[in-house]
Amino acid sequence: MLGQQLLNGLTLGATYALIALGYTMVYGIIQLINFAHGEIYMVGAFVGVLMVTVFKQGLVVSLVAAMLTCMIIGVSIERIAYRPLRGSTRLSPLISAIGVSIFLQTLMTKVQGPQPVGFPHVIEDAIYKFGSLEITKVQILILVVASLLMAGLTFIVKYVKIGKAMRAASEDYDAASLMGINVNRVISFTFAIGSSLAAAGGVLVGIYFNSVSPLMGVSAGLKAFCAAVLGGIGSIPGAMLGGIFLGVAETLGIAGGFDLYKDAIAFTLLIVVLLFRPTGLLGRPIQRKV
Amino acid sequence: MSKILLELRDVTIRFGGLTAVDNVSIKIEQGKIRALIGPNGAGKSTIFNLITGIYPPTEGEITFQNIKVSGLKPHTITEMGIARTFQNIRLFGEMTVLENVKIGQHCRTRAGFLSAILRGPRVKKEEKAITEASMEALKLMELDHKADELAKNLPYGEQRRLEIARAMATNPKLILLDEPAAGMNPQEKMTLMNMIRKIQDKGLTIFLVEHDMKFVMSLSDRIAVLDYGRKISAGTPAEIQHDPAVIAAYLGKEVV
Amino acid sequence: MDTIFNILLNDSIFKAFLNDYYIQVLTMLGIYLIGSLGLNLITGVTGQLSFGHAAFLSIGAYASAITSLKLGMPFPIAILAGGVMASIWGILLGFPTLRLSGDYLGIATLGFGEIVRVVFLNLSITGGALGMAGIPRNSSLTLVIFVVFFTIWAMYRLENSRFGRALVAIREDEIAAEAMGVNITNSKIVAFALGTFFAGVSGGLYAHLLTYLNPSDFGFLKSFEFLTFVVLGGLGSIPGVILGTSILTLAPEFLRFIADYRMMVYGLLMVFMMIVRPRGLLGGVRLSRVFKKKLSQRDKASATGAN
Repeated sequence: MLGQQLLNGLTLGATYALIALGYTMVYGIIQLINFAHGEIYMVGAFVGVLMVTVFKQGLVVSLVAAMLTCMIIGVSIERIAYRPLRGSTRLSPLISAIGVSIFLQTLMTKVQGPQPVGFPHVIEDAIYKFGSLEITKVQILILVVASLLMAGLTFIVKYVKIGKAMRAASEDYDAASLMGINVNRVISFTFAIGSSLAAAGGVLVGIYFNSVSPLMGVSAGLKAFCAAVLGGIGSIPGAMLGGIFLGVAETLGIAGGFDLYKDAIAFTLLIVVLLFRPTGLLGRPIQRKV
Repeated sequence: MSKILLELRDVTIRFGGLTAVDNVSIKIEQGKIRALIGPNGAGKSTIFNLITGIYPPTEGEITFQNIKVSGLKPHTITEMGIARTFQNIRLFGEMTVLENVKIGQHCRTRAGFLSAILRGPRVKKEEKAITEASMEALKLMELDHKADELAKNLPYGEQRRLEIARAMATNPKLILLDEPAAGMNPQEKMTLMNMIRKIQDKGLTIFLVEHDMKFVMSLSDRIAVLDYGRKISAGTPAEIQHDPAVIAAYLGKEVV
Repeated sequence: MDTIFNILLNDSIFKAFLNDYYIQVLTMLGIYLIGSLGLNLITGVTGQLSFGHAAFLSIGAYASAITSLKLGMPFPIAILAGGVMASIWGILLGFPTLRLSGDYLGIATLGFGEIVRVVFLNLSITGGALGMAGIPRNSSLTLVIFVVFFTIWAMYRLENSRFGRALVAIREDEIAAEAMGVNITNSKIVAFALGTFFAGVSGGLYAHLLTYLNPSDFGFLKSFEFLTFVVLGGLGSIPGVILGTSILTLAPEFLRFIADYRMMVYGLLMVFMMIVRPRGLLGGVRLSRVFKKKLSQRDKASATGAN
């Protein structure tokens, strides 16, 4: 029974982690809470639906198309709405992000209508049993795709030149630009990667819950952001850990009878962690600079 | 020997594995100008941060007028009579010059938020006293004609002087000046030196960190030298100038 | 006493030249102004990021609704109760979290806001997800205007006081403020308590205008809306906040002609205005300086006139 809950939590957590990565990478480099990120995830889910229903594509093509589309959207948003505000006060890009978020949300509501749409059948409802443990094919899909994407990201950040530049920029932005790193390119790349991961998360969640709606990005975005902070914002392994931690906590909370307070679990955890470990589980401690 | 105002007793602070200040003891006599010198990264500013309560020492203790201040909060220490300036100027940029100095008067006055809204006669009187005391501090640093300008619009040298004026407005007994002459031209330095002497004449004790040797040597009564967090020498300017350990610290180790 | 209230609660003067719809819109604007001036004290003046302002509005709204509906207390007491209750929760939240710096404080307040919403969704006394109906409709435009003027006046006096200066100093440089003898923890908590008090009053008036409350009215989008009012107008500037709140509250009304597209335009407008004026429309403009400048301009004008 507990094993089953942990498995369900892990699946949910993996989707949180995919979204959380985008928050954490962007914050790590430009210290912006990208409030439009949840909307990218929502748009990704819709692109997935569109690919399957209108263009009659299979799962893999739809997933890749969603990721590519959101990559372009994410990079454009940064170029249009955030880059002109770099170097101004901390709050102005934040407000700009909220503006983008409202825009995307209402745009999709206009295009799709406010009602959730079901995700077309792209994967059979098979259930596999391992002793008392039950796992659906969709869950396997989510876990496999999420693991592959996260492994890919880890590889890029560790071994590929642009990924290393990303780490350098998040360590020390000014020093990185002085060392000849093209920071603008790095930032665009960060938005591209983060947005495509969120789009993948959107498609997977759409399939998992068989529901896609213009408002799905709001609560998922907030929770994924919580996950990023829980893990230590700016830290890539932190976002993965935070996402899974949150998914498991939420699933166990519901199983433990707190289902009415389901949406509060993430935020309660968040405040508790902030109070005792302000920089999150894997965040670096802040040294007060004088 | 005159009265000891501030005493650091075997003070040590470690950040992780780094010992920034290592077993340093310093006594500062009332009414004197004491300097702290040493190469970059020797721990001078850290000593100021320890005295003003920004960091608590890992070991040792600091007393001011024979009362232990290490472990107290910065604002309490300021209230007890220790004021400071910052090496990397930390003015309130969006506030006027006068308002900056008025903040210095904060710990000497009382009016809270309710009296701010009601603004009774007592509050008005207090506000008038704050303005007067602040203008006096500005006059001392020859900045009174700039009272209504925004602090961020002042030229560099005047920003340094404004920092001192702001510290003076806390009515301190001891004032810590962290590189007060940095970035000033020789003429500005001369003016500043006279101003610091005027502050001393008012009965204040001055503890300063400075790189300009001419400035330090002609102004200080006694000097302490710090290297790699350790106190390697202390004495009058003449003694310091001839101390081989100090020369070694400044010129390189091979001299020893 | 009763006659004073009768005058304040009666909008017959306005009804002479405004229809009910405009009176409702203007009353709402006034209520939002009270809330955003409260947030301005926290975020604009003191520099403490709050993403949970709507939560304090909701606490004030429910507390005042319960006071008048369930406890049968008179309207002014209900409004005060809303303010005080929001303020108490502001202090309770502020005490542990105001130690956190910058964004982390914002994140904690965001979390608090969502928790409050979920709690109201599940409490039986507030009617849960069904909401709370039948609150007496007591908030009049006259009264709200009166409260708005009181709020502006109080904020103006705070801004130009020993206490207000300390708050600005905290915003500008926390470490320097502390070194100058400002007790930053206490000052921040008092600023938070005051800001949330006005949020609570605003919420109370809101409850007694709409007569119906639902937790979904106070989600984090509402908190962001308030933050937008303040940032767009100009952080820390009272005239800026008044302008920002007015434009953004009335904009959807003016944008009604584009019907379905109005929230899309609203979103784009936010991005556009930030890019054009990142510090807000009236960033850096202070009420006291506006007066001073006018005076000195008049002096200059008379001086040149004499020549």
